[in-house]
Amino acid sequence: MALLEVDNLSIGYNTKKGYLKAVEKVSFDLEAGASLGFVGESGCGKTTIGMALMGLLPPNGSVKEGRILFEGKNTLEMTDEELRKIRWREMAMIFQAAMNALNPVQRVGNQIAEAILVHDPSVEKDQAMDQVENLFRLVGIPLDRLRDYPHQYSGGMKQRAVIAMALACRPKLIIADEPTTALDVIVQDQILGEIKELQKEFDLSIIFISHDISIVAHMCDHIGVMYAGQLVECGPREGVFESPAHPYTKALLSSFPTVTGKRSDLIPIPGETPNLVVPPHGCRFCDRCSGPEASCSTEPPQWVEIAPGHRALCCRC
Amino acid sequence: MSKQNENSMGPERHPWVSSFLEGWSIFRQNLLGKIGLTLLVMFALMALCSYIPPWISPIYDPMTGVDPDITSCSGPCLRHWLGTDFMGRDILSQLLAGARIAFMVGISAAVMSIVLGVSIGMTAGYMGRFIDTLLMRLADMIMVMPTLLVVLLLSAVFGQLNIWTIVLIIALFRWPGVSRIIRGQTLSLKQRPFIEAAKVAGASHFRIIFIHIMPNVLPLAFLFMTFRVTSAIITEAALAFLGFGDPGTVSWGMMLQWVWKTGHMFQAPYWLLPPGICISLITLSFYMLGRAMDEVLDPRLRKEDQTD
Amino acid sequence: MELRKYITKRIIQIIIIFFVILTVLFLLFRLAPGDPVSMMVDPDMTQEDAEMLIVQLGLEQPLGMQYLIYLKNFFTGHFGFSFHYGDPVVDIIWDRLPNTVLLFTTSIILSALVGVFLGKIASWHKGKKVDSIMTIGALVTHTVFLPWLALILIWIFAYKFGWFPINGMISEEVWLDPEAGFISRALDVMYHMVLPLSTLFLIHFGAYLLIMRSSMLETLKEDYILTARAKGLEEKVIRDHHAAPNAALPVVTSVGLSLAFSINGGALTETVFTWPGIGRELVSSVSQNDYPLAQACFLMIAGVVLISNLVVDVLYAYLDPRIRY
Repeated sequence: MALLEVDNLSIGYNTKKGYLKAVEKVSFDLEAGASLGFVGESGCGKTTIGMALMGLLPPNGSVKEGRILFEGKNTLEMTDEELRKIRWREMAMIFQAAMNALNPVQRVGNQIAEAILVHDPSVEKDQAMDQVENLFRLVGIPLDRLRDYPHQYSGGMKQRAVIAMALACRPKLIIADEPTTALDVIVQDQILGEIKELQKEFDLSIIFISHDISIVAHMCDHIGVMYAGQLVECGPREGVFESPAHPYTKALLSSFPTVTGKRSDLIPIPGETPNLVVPPHGCRFCDRCSGPEASCSTEPPQWVEIAPGHRALCCRC
Repeated sequence: MSKQNENSMGPERHPWVSSFLEGWSIFRQNLLGKIGLTLLVMFALMALCSYIPPWISPIYDPMTGVDPDITSCSGPCLRHWLGTDFMGRDILSQLLAGARIAFMVGISAAVMSIVLGVSIGMTAGYMGRFIDTLLMRLADMIMVMPTLLVVLLLSAVFGQLNIWTIVLIIALFRWPGVSRIIRGQTLSLKQRPFIEAAKVAGASHFRIIFIHIMPNVLPLAFLFMTFRVTSAIITEAALAFLGFGDPGTVSWGMMLQWVWKTGHMFQAPYWLLPPGICISLITLSFYMLGRAMDEVLDPRLRKEDQTD
Repeated sequence: MELRKYITKRIIQIIIIFFVILTVLFLLFRLAPGDPVSMMVDPDMTQEDAEMLIVQLGLEQPLGMQYLIYLKNFFTGHFGFSFHYGDPVVDIIWDRLPNTVLLFTTSIILSALVGVFLGKIASWHKGKKVDSIMTIGALVTHTVFLPWLALILIWIFAYKFGWFPINGMISEEVWLDPEAGFISRALDVMYHMVLPLSTLFLIHFGAYLLIMRSSMLETLKEDYILTARAKGLEEKVIRDHHAAPNAALPVVTSVGLSLAFSINGGALTETVFTWPGIGRELVSSVSQNDYPLAQACFLMIAGVVLISNLVVDVLYAYLDPRIRY
């Protein structure tokens, strides 16, 4: 049994313009210790999936259909209290630290200790602080910064603290939402490397969310490409990179420096993403596709199996 | 943004008009704003009606009208709907005249302090450096001054102040709050490309400030005006209540001062209640209007429907 | 260390502001229409006393010299003599100042604490009945005309029901009784303070409630609240330990900004309740043309506002580590 099974998940937001279908009929599995990366432009629904997995959709958002099975149990049917208890203990999240994910008026060490204390009442405050020290060593923050406030940290250090916080309760699954976006390239590289090592060390499952396909390629052994609320291609890293099937994946890859270090011609994708309040009936990428067929704009595309475990939502494949 | 401003003289619908209509549609959904506006319309009607009683008969003059049959404080009757004060003057006509004074004081003081605050704020924000520091230190200093007590002290030095002097002093002491906000706005506008473009195109400082920056800070200034109106009305009323108002005008604060000083507050609720209710309600309605406008202008409150 | 630098900076700013006020007051009273002697010297004094006072205040000297003497007198506590009481102004000031500080600080602290507490609750029940009642209640009490509210409270609770004294700060029978200890005297003052305090409280807590409410609603949208929720904290913990300490910061700022406004209200309240404070003394000295007393009262009130401002700044720094470190 997979650690996480997401089945036919659809999520929407009530907005003033109407019901916005942010995620539609997304299905995927994640084995224990595996990593899956979601890639796509902003507004494609990747963050929404992450929030739904944690049960943290904003008040105007709701799951319309589908199941999220975590260790065989449907998290969507859990009560708030049950959900609260598995959050962080079983699945944690690495937020983008630049976006003020740490409380500015509390000491960083205490914020991490809080996560430990709330999920294990038997732990004393001192023990929790010892554990936080270990976590700081693990992510490479000097121990004398334990009692500092977030604004005294550099961007990279904040990000490390956020990672330490995610590891605090030794979760089985970590969802990393754009964890390095605001950092400079060198720090970004270090932190990604650390996440990768930690994943091996603790046998973590990771869901990695990014708009940058090169990061996802570096981090994950499975890749899901999202476009306008739909998963359009999904498969093992090698499969998706070597034989991309969906035209959107191809377009994304064209702007990605190849393994040899030579950047192939960068082709900007013309056109705009469709309106998700009234999504088009046919293929959503149709308007921006390089070679659509007549049926593309009228018939909804079907999943096509490219190779075992590699599928694409395109009728031209 | 810059395009809108450049084309603002065009024959098509003015961008201000469309943004006004958009704002109005948001405003109309705001219950507090609607109540506030309705109350204000009622007060405006009261102010207009204030000309009627003295015109009917000189005994209804709010200041000098004395009923030949009544020489002391008396309760409501057919001839005096709200009763009379200690000299037999009609309370209703005083109340109506008070509405006129309240609007006059509130709006003129607010307009003056907003004009001052906007020009000082824009100058400080645009000029920067020494002028900015100087003006903002001055603002800090004036901000910690209790306006009512300042007017009180000035009336100690200069003797009885008339209503326009009071209005002027209130305006002179109420600009710093506005100018701080406007300065902040100007600072952020200064960074925008269309200001750079105007500079490169050789526009003068004067032109940049008044043609390019001012239209963008005015909505905020209008918002602050509603709050300034209330503070001016309250300050004048409090001053009059303490007995330092303009003796030639009948304001609601003055009416309360008469009730209080002549010791009628326990005997004549028909005299004590109306002016207090009016001051409180007009303050409340301007305040509600301001809050509603705040919601119209503040884009943060509008983005309730954020997605991913 | 940062904190000490910050506080030193604020103290220097406050001293400068106070000096400017001192100077403006000097110019105002010396350059006002009319004769400065009539402004500073009681017309009912004997010729000799008056001449002595003129020398002491330096009124026969040139303006620059007068200013130096004025500063010296200020620092040595010579404010001249009150026309009305005939006593040294400084004695009157020291007698009234504690009463004002008592009423003023109690009312500010009480209304800020209650405002923050209720604002937190209102924001938590946003859109529900509790929220509407609190918001409307706060709007109404905040905009009521203060002296009128004071009169109404007196009318209802002191006159109609007779629960509280109508005015003053002490009852003579308690204070003249040699048997009465500190506690019964303190209780007597508290008993007299109920109505003036309620007046100031009712006027002020609404503003803090509304600020806290909207600040909470903004704070709840912050990312660190999402983090707290993701961490599996209980909603109550998120509200009280993560959102509220951040949301209260703008309230503290607004307490500082509204101090000048609050002291206006304090003076009005003192006047209506004949609370023997400095605000009431200012009002009565102005109406009695008691210039030396009016000047000194104003100076003291400005001092109270400035020092309270400093206290609020220190409190802010204490609550917000971004200023402390």
